[in-house]
Amino acid sequence: MRCERCGKELTNRIIKINGVTYCENCARLMGYDRFLNDPADFLGNPFSQLDEIASSLMQMNELDFGNSTLTCPKCGMTLREFETEGRVGCIECYNTFNNNIVREMFKQQGNSEYAGRLPAQSADTDAETSDVPQTKKAAASKTIEMEIPEKAEEPVKETKAPAAKSGKGGLTLDQLMKADLGMLSDEDLEKGIKVAAEAEEYKLASRLRDELKGRKEGGDNV
Amino acid sequence: MSEWYMNEGKDNDVVLSTKACIVRNIKGYNFMPRLDDKECKSLLETIDKAIDKNKYTGGCAADFDKQTILRLTRLQILGRESNQMATPERKAFYYNDDVSLSIAVGSGEHLTVKAMAAGHDISVYKQAEKEALDLESKLDIAFSENYGFLTSHVRLAGTGLKILYTVSLPAISKTEGGIAALTQRVSQYEWAIYPFAERGEIADSDVYIISSVNTLGVTEDEVLKKGEMLIADVIKAERALREEIATSKKDQSEDIYGRSYGTLKYAGMISRSEALQALGWLRLYHEYDDSGDIKVSCNTINKLTMDILWEPDAPSKKSSQSAASQKYRAQGIKKILKGDD
Repeated sequence: MRCERCGKELTNRIIKINGVTYCENCARLMGYDRFLNDPADFLGNPFSQLDEIASSLMQMNELDFGNSTLTCPKCGMTLREFETEGRVGCIECYNTFNNNIVREMFKQQGNSEYAGRLPAQSADTDAETSDVPQTKKAAASKTIEMEIPEKAEEPVKETKAPAAKSGKGGLTLDQLMKADLGMLSDEDLEKGIKVAAEAEEYKLASRLRDELKGRKEGGDNV
Repeated sequence: MSEWYMNEGKDNDVVLSTKACIVRNIKGYNFMPRLDDKECKSLLETIDKAIDKNKYTGGCAADFDKQTILRLTRLQILGRESNQMATPERKAFYYNDDVSLSIAVGSGEHLTVKAMAAGHDISVYKQAEKEALDLESKLDIAFSENYGFLTSHVRLAGTGLKILYTVSLPAISKTEGGIAALTQRVSQYEWAIYPFAERGEIADSDVYIISSVNTLGVTEDEVLKKGEMLIADVIKAERALREEIATSKKDQSEDIYGRSYGTLKYAGMISRSEALQALGWLRLYHEYDDSGDIKVSCNTINKLTMDILWEPDAPSKKSSQSAASQKYRAQGIKKILKGDD
């Protein structure tokens, strides 16, 4: 039997008030706590429905629990133990508690039918570790690493941005990313927008554009 | 031979490790909760005979010395929970040379075959399956046509397979609503994500575990392919957010990155959560640091992260916060960082 308010299985006492069955906890939350310890108090309350309450305060062992006393003939596990622990004791439990296990499987996985491999047979899978593209920055760094031998005489810092991404005589993509935009000339900004757009760095391009636009409109862009 | 997590894994800027776990039970024995000591001893002996001793070392956990227990905890064979080594006479652990493959007996189910690899590497499934097939051919495994491989935990019945990716997500964690959005995304794949913490512990890092859920109604192949799609999404999202943070808040990120490195390298005492926070920042900005002043590889960041995460003491326990343990931790970090210089 379960509490009609919270759905919890009743463990030791049930309290039935106005035809509704509560667990102790819910009865307390509903404000009936003062009657739980000593039914005599309740009986003394002129506003209570005496007969109904008094007849409902029963010990759990007097109640019919239906299937909850179901026990596995092999390992002795009861249905209540299975419901509490979520584990079964032996293979036979799968037959004994079949309905409850299937319900639990549906609850957890939305399915109870096996679709996997058979014992000692390999699963038919060709799953391989997928290639996840690096960020643009990492991809660029890899290109640079490969280019280093050809440009060994150049300082490493100079080779950080790919040549294709640098403006003609202007700043490289890396330099643009790190630059304080307020310090760049209009010409640098214009070239920078092209470099950023070519490299698909649209956020950078829009920041450069906004800086340039702000200057042309006479704003200080602070 | 070097231990498994020292290897350079794929996508190791985000994925710390990939694991495949396959659980099995043996017919003729009750499941672990209902197995008496005599039966348990017989089970351990039966399984011991089926284990390939040319490949695996180990045995009954009661015979392990303290050093072995600490090593196996650090290498993620044993959990860090204090009850892990309760009743050691009812458990056995076998492992290969680099401890990437292991077979646990009596830990929840009769058999747990586990394969682990550094970084993003789904080939762990094939490795675990190979070991499981070997045991299935030698032992009488509990199997039903309706429910597949029968387990004591009903949620594992079916394939008995779990795939777990351990990921470090500093950028998603620092983005408002990032983890909530990711959780939603993960559940769309019918997988689960949870912070790295064992029972009773406080989650004190940006490390998460992304795990498969379904063992019924799906084939192993479907689980693996879904997992690969999901982890690719997670890696892409984390990298994109790192780029966003590193570029939009460059000065702040660079500053915290430098400070974090300094703390790790020079602190005389360091708490677990402080160390993990600092490692999160190193990971986040590592790729964007152009100064060249800080020399630390992704592998080193991963090794440090895993060493700290798998410290035998849980973060909720006083011992891991004691001065002695903070000092010991700081010394260990310094030593590893010195090796990278």
